[in-house]
Amino acid sequence: MRDDVTERTGSEVPEPVTETETNGPDESTQAPSPEETAWSGPGAWVVPALVAILGLVAVWGALTIEAPPNATRPGPGAFPGVVGVLLLITAVCMTVVNLRGRGSESGVSPLAWFEGRPVLIVLAGLVAHIALLEILGWLLAGALLFWIVAYAFGARAHLRDAIVALSISAAVQVGFSFGLGLNLPGGFLEVLL
Amino acid sequence: MDTLLNLVDGLSAAMSPQNLMWAFLGVLLGTAVGVLPGMGSAMAVALLLPVTFRLDPTGAFILFAGVYYGGMFGGATTSILLNTPGQASSIATTYEGHKMALKGRAAQALGTAVIGSFVASILGTLIVALFAPVMVAFALNFGPGEYFALTVFSFVAVAAVVSGSVLRGLASLLIGLAIGMVGIDGQSGAARFDFGSSSLLDGIDIVIVTVGLLALGEVLYIAARGRSAPDFAAIRTGRPWLGRRDLRRSWKPWLRGTALGGAFGPIPGSGAEIPTFLSLGLERKLAERRARRKGEENEFGEGAIEGVAGPEAANNSSAAGTMVPLLGLGLPTSATAAIMLAAFQQYGLQPGPVLFERNADLVWTLLASLLIGSVLLLVINLPFAPLWAKLLKLPKPYLYAGITLFSVLAVYAINTSVIHLVMLTAVALLGLVMRTFGVPVAPALIGVVLGPIAETEFRRALAASSGDPTILVGSGISITLYALVLLVAVVPLIARALRRRTARAVDAQEPAARS
Repeated sequence: MRDDVTERTGSEVPEPVTETETNGPDESTQAPSPEETAWSGPGAWVVPALVAILGLVAVWGALTIEAPPNATRPGPGAFPGVVGVLLLITAVCMTVVNLRGRGSESGVSPLAWFEGRPVLIVLAGLVAHIALLEILGWLLAGALLFWIVAYAFGARAHLRDAIVALSISAAVQVGFSFGLGLNLPGGFLEVLL
Repeated sequence: MDTLLNLVDGLSAAMSPQNLMWAFLGVLLGTAVGVLPGMGSAMAVALLLPVTFRLDPTGAFILFAGVYYGGMFGGATTSILLNTPGQASSIATTYEGHKMALKGRAAQALGTAVIGSFVASILGTLIVALFAPVMVAFALNFGPGEYFALTVFSFVAVAAVVSGSVLRGLASLLIGLAIGMVGIDGQSGAARFDFGSSSLLDGIDIVIVTVGLLALGEVLYIAARGRSAPDFAAIRTGRPWLGRRDLRRSWKPWLRGTALGGAFGPIPGSGAEIPTFLSLGLERKLAERRARRKGEENEFGEGAIEGVAGPEAANNSSAAGTMVPLLGLGLPTSATAAIMLAAFQQYGLQPGPVLFERNADLVWTLLASLLIGSVLLLVINLPFAPLWAKLLKLPKPYLYAGITLFSVLAVYAINTSVIHLVMLTAVALLGLVMRTFGVPVAPALIGVVLGPIAETEFRRALAASSGDPTILVGSGISITLYALVLLVAVVPLIARALRRRTARAVDAQEPAARS
């Protein structure tokens, strides 16, 4: 069954030319980064850095929050302070784990599977949707979002995709306005009609 | 006896056509979402949260309960047919379930899963109905100090247990706590972490966090996986069916699985994974023993029906088990329960002893609707399991585009605010980073929901004692809870070691089929 799964028709996703078949079929279908896998390479520092930054922000907040004069102690800064310090400690522990594990790195980058392009396209779609929602209205902005995300996931039948996108967006708008009384923005269409 | 009377009352309230419709819809949606890989009932509940604001609380919770149960079963369908567990709770089912499917016994595997889920849900719900009032009587003695101990207990449990690495679980929990701190501090009225933005003063809505981390984060993650993302090849199946022989082999594992799930469900952080793996391990040990003693054939590794019946019963009864602390104490022990707690709060209801006093009718209707949900689960899934598998034939681009669209819609519907969508995108990016680096998401969700509660109770306790910290350990209950913190940190670690051993043993037995 595993082999069937990996035999791709190739019609839905543009296959990158640099296809590595060395991994074997199992690895390509498994979740690439299970929670037990150790981090290695430059990517290993992403999470520790994120945790450290959050910790710094929390500690900074704890020190600068202005408590109203009548506030009981512990004031509003106590909890952020504790969480911030714990975040920093966690970041330090992660750093230690990273430094220790450095010797045993295998040659393959654990993030080799990560494809940035579709992610960026989805994000671009979200940004476009957010920017245009109140100008174009839900119908068009929603359809645009659907279309762009479908494109990012490899849909290439542009006309059919557009029709599907428009009908789903329209169905949502109609369903929500009539069924739940929720008004989605009509945008300029509202003015025209 | 009172309990039973209350339950009957609840049953008659839940039987209204409208509520039945919500239960039906919930099971339907839950199963559909459970079938889709990477999407669990937590995500379905998160996406439904804004929509249900327009319903009355009873209807909303009946819907959620249906989703919860349905999701547990939906995951089994794909585990068996495609070897692709829809969520963590159905991983244990893949080992024997998929092998049964390969041997052409998919129908029997599905059958034992459906009926096992049904049996476990019914028994699990009855256990909840019996134990929730006991829990409530106990919880009436709780003051702020005890509640704080309780939240610490669940934090430790969740961080230590949910993830493969304690450090990552802790990081996730702390990230959640940090997100929960944004906005006006409820105790003193001081603005915290608003960064000068008036939208952040209200805090980051729980819907934004859940939809961002679970739904949209998953979409980004699948996008990033590109070619390596799971593909749902087609597989044929018959109608779920159990012969007499299979039934005879299934009923004991159902009951054992139910007991395991019911015991672990109320423990914070244990989730449904631990009991499912324990059940799988137990059934295999028992089969080995039967083979030794009575010379019965041991089918484990080649598709033993016991290996499907046990885990599937275990995950449904653990779903019921999580309702005990949720309703009795206001303590969520899983991501889905955390979102349900948030939903309670949106209605101005605080689960716990007070809820049983003031909104007893709501509670009993909810419990009764769990029973109805179990029946509907059987009705919907016994005949239609093969149809669910067809859901996987939806073109992947449309599937994920649709999820994106609904994520945006769910968040926009909170307050029709575009700024919320910006926050959603940021949280989704955080979700992508966490998934990419194997940081579990569930502790963060629990942190966001429970963090503010922990802080409030902590400060209330200290305010009551005028700053004397001994109030935190001033009662037997608190001390017991802190002792349990230690225990809970140790026991599931052992359970996880067991689970790993089980998994390894399964791999070792059938190396050819799994690689």
